[in-house]
Amino acid sequence: MSALVLMICAYAAIVISTVVLAFRTVKIAQMPVHLRWELAPVPHEKGKSAYGGSYLEEYEWWTRDHESSIMNEVIYMAKEIFLLKGVWENNRGLWPFTFLFHNGIYLLAAAAALVFVSAIMLISSSPLSPLDLTLDLATILLIAAYLLGTAGSFGLLIKRYMDPNLKPFNSTSTYLNLVLLVLVFGSGLYAFFSTSDYSLELGYFARSLITFSPQSYISVPMGTHILIVLIFLTYLPFTYMIHFVAKYFTYHEVRWNDRPQTEKMTRKLNDLLAQPVSWSAPHVKGDGKKNWVDMATEEMKDEKKPEN
Amino acid sequence: MKKSLKIKDISLNGDAPITELNLDDLLPLPPPYDKIEEQPGWKRITEEQKGRIVCNLDGVVGLSLPRPETPEEEKKYVDLFVTGMQKLLSRENNWTFLQPLLLSLEYCAKCQTCSDSCPVYEASGKNDLYRPTYRSEVFRRLANKYLKPGGKLLAKLNNEEIELNWTTISRLYELAYRCTMCRRCAQACPMGVDNGLITHELRKLFSQELGWAPRELHEKGTMLQLKVGSSTGMSPKVVKDNMEFIDEDYSELTGFDVVTPWDRKDADVLLIHNAGEILSWPENPAAFTILLNAAGISWTLASDDPAYDGVNYGLFYDDVQLARIALKHAEVAKKLNVKKIVMGECGHQHKALMTIADRILLGDMNIPRESSMTFLENLVFSGKIKFDPSKNDFPVTLHDPCNIVRNLGIVEPQRRILRYLCPQFREMTPHGVDNYCCGGGSGFAVMSQNNFKDWRVAVAGRKKFKQILDAFADQPGPEVKKYLCAPCSNCKGQIRDILDYYGAPLKSGIIYGGLVELIVNAMTDLKEPFIKWEE
Ligand code: SF4
Ligand code: SF4
Repeated sequence: MSALVLMICAYAAIVISTVVLAFRTVKIAQMPVHLRWELAPVPHEKGKSAYGGSYLEEYEWWTRDHESSIMNEVIYMAKEIFLLKGVWENNRGLWPFTFLFHNGIYLLAAAAALVFVSAIMLISSSPLSPLDLTLDLATILLIAAYLLGTAGSFGLLIKRYMDPNLKPFNSTSTYLNLVLLVLVFGSGLYAFFSTSDYSLELGYFARSLITFSPQSYISVPMGTHILIVLIFLTYLPFTYMIHFVAKYFTYHEVRWNDRPQTEKMTRKLNDLLAQPVSWSAPHVKGDGKKNWVDMATEEMKDEKKPEN
Repeated sequence: MKKSLKIKDISLNGDAPITELNLDDLLPLPPPYDKIEEQPGWKRITEEQKGRIVCNLDGVVGLSLPRPETPEEEKKYVDLFVTGMQKLLSRENNWTFLQPLLLSLEYCAKCQTCSDSCPVYEASGKNDLYRPTYRSEVFRRLANKYLKPGGKLLAKLNNEEIELNWTTISRLYELAYRCTMCRRCAQACPMGVDNGLITHELRKLFSQELGWAPRELHEKGTMLQLKVGSSTGMSPKVVKDNMEFIDEDYSELTGFDVVTPWDRKDADVLLIHNAGEILSWPENPAAFTILLNAAGISWTLASDDPAYDGVNYGLFYDDVQLARIALKHAEVAKKLNVKKIVMGECGHQHKALMTIADRILLGDMNIPRESSMTFLENLVFSGKIKFDPSKNDFPVTLHDPCNIVRNLGIVEPQRRILRYLCPQFREMTPHGVDNYCCGGGSGFAVMSQNNFKDWRVAVAGRKKFKQILDAFADQPGPEVKKYLCAPCSNCKGQIRDILDYYGAPLKSGIIYGGLVELIVNAMTDLKEPFIKWEE
């Protein structure tokens, strides 16, 4: 298989997915400050998060220091990311598949990072033993990733298709996403067992990506696997599967955003309140000229008001 | 029961309900409420009603939407729905919730991890129509198909077919009032998607663009409050007269000099009750007056409209109405120059004024606001008043109002009071931030048109009723008098209806009331019990 073609595909995939992902992330981040909509438990509430309490439990809370713990947030997120705690607690039937699948993804990402580390070692002619160690570790991670990922994504595909609770919500893309993931992991598994020195070959490919110098030949199973991964990487940022980014915002900017108004926020809010409103219901009659302040301060009195 | 409802079913067979509810399907209740034949069920919609109003969802009608007279009228509303969706997803018209809404619309994995946490879905016997995700998915598909470029083609290719027509919007409107916005599903969602928020946004679209909202929340709710001063219809003069009667009554009953202060400038505390308390549960404002006076607090009620009524139904369906009322509450507090506003025992008032309004009240309008739970805790443990907990030696359990607990994280203050003052206090399972909604949330407690009250009690409130019975399972009979503490007006309204519906005060000896009544009942100086069991 031509390494040059694969390299071009790899550069394209990396550029497209990075740009689209960055664009979508920035778009979410730039949305206007919204009204508070926090939801307990908020893990950064020091000493209270275990039972879901917040600083609003304090007598005259505005006179107290608000103690916050980033550590609690990190622990909460780690349990959610690696153990899929929410699914374990609320959807046990789905958990084994989603757990295997997600951890397959994490291991694949870790293995890819190690492959690039080994590529750098190859470039810098590092001594053999650290290189061997890195490659051995990458090999272990890769096989684990492929096994977990194949089982998980295949299990999810079957579950989605069979489970009457899930089926009515499936669309073509639901199946497409999962088939693609089965192919990502399955092709990796196949390539792994049909290639000797699998991680070293991957290391060479990564080296050629870094040095812009194509190696002569890539085996068909490995080339196919790389191609499928690249197709997936290109497709990923266009789908809801980038929820790993969105989740940061749903948690930090919505569920856990309990920040009282600050001066900086007040300035932004003033701008937002000056925006025109065009909601057309009779009690609003937004004509696109009145702004939020006009609207909110409008008197609603009528002749029916009883005498005081 | 119609199983396996498809998303596209919402657009089909215009006049017929898309699901049917049967009593046998509902979550079973413990004895003596376990016999289906003895359960009241719900009234059937009559032929006359069917000819007049839209009845095409589930055999229940909460909104009395008139049937359109012409196809043109139908089209007008369908077109308004499209412009409403556009506005809902625009920065200018919906900056208030744009980010949370878009996140919830775009990142749902359709994994159904949220479904089983919904008390309405569970109590209905897992009817697909009440899944937290059903209405959200309908809305998501409509927005994708009708707002995004190439949406129609993509919907076809992606097999996400749905039609936007009169049937769809009329059903979706009614369906927006089958969710109490309790946000239990949002807690369960691993993505942080919030189906309760999508309900909220849908209601806003209908109200702010089409002018559709439940009469109880709009005409008789926020509009009445903005025009007259209170959704109860009480004017400032009437509310003062009523409180005066309450003061007189309770002076007589307790032997205390019960005098409620009004409009005291520079008071430390402006207390804002839900005015429904004054009409339906006068013991609650009376208990506040007794307690605050006994502790020597500098406090006041306000008679300027609408600050004698903490209700703000805008929270449930309309941002404009929400902002109008919240601003007026703050204006009165500013005029009186109080140091802080204390929320009465009303959950949605807490959420509307304490957190939601926090980013509407700018500058000196942002007067410090505190929950009565923390305020009362401070007072009880201040040592200013002597208590005798043995006066409360009867079984007590606590209902957690979603708006105070799950939404604001105010969990422990009320419990510390109950653990101190009520020797037989016991928790429900689950409780605290994992609590179940009473079924009266998001305005349901005041909504009773057609057969909606039957539904909100028998379905939306079913899980809560079961929890209440389970909490008292060790002494189920009526011979042991039990107290259900529900520190929220709307929850109390719903609980009253649940208990009455099943005859539970007689069959199980359960009464309900607020928190402050229990505190006053335990006051050493009080000669006669404050809590009256015969009620
Ligand atoms: S709302 Fe959350 S839990 Fe429910 S289906 Fe969507 S992603 Fe899953
Ligand atoms: S907000 Fe509450 S009632 Fe509404 S769907 Fe979620 S869990 Fe059910």
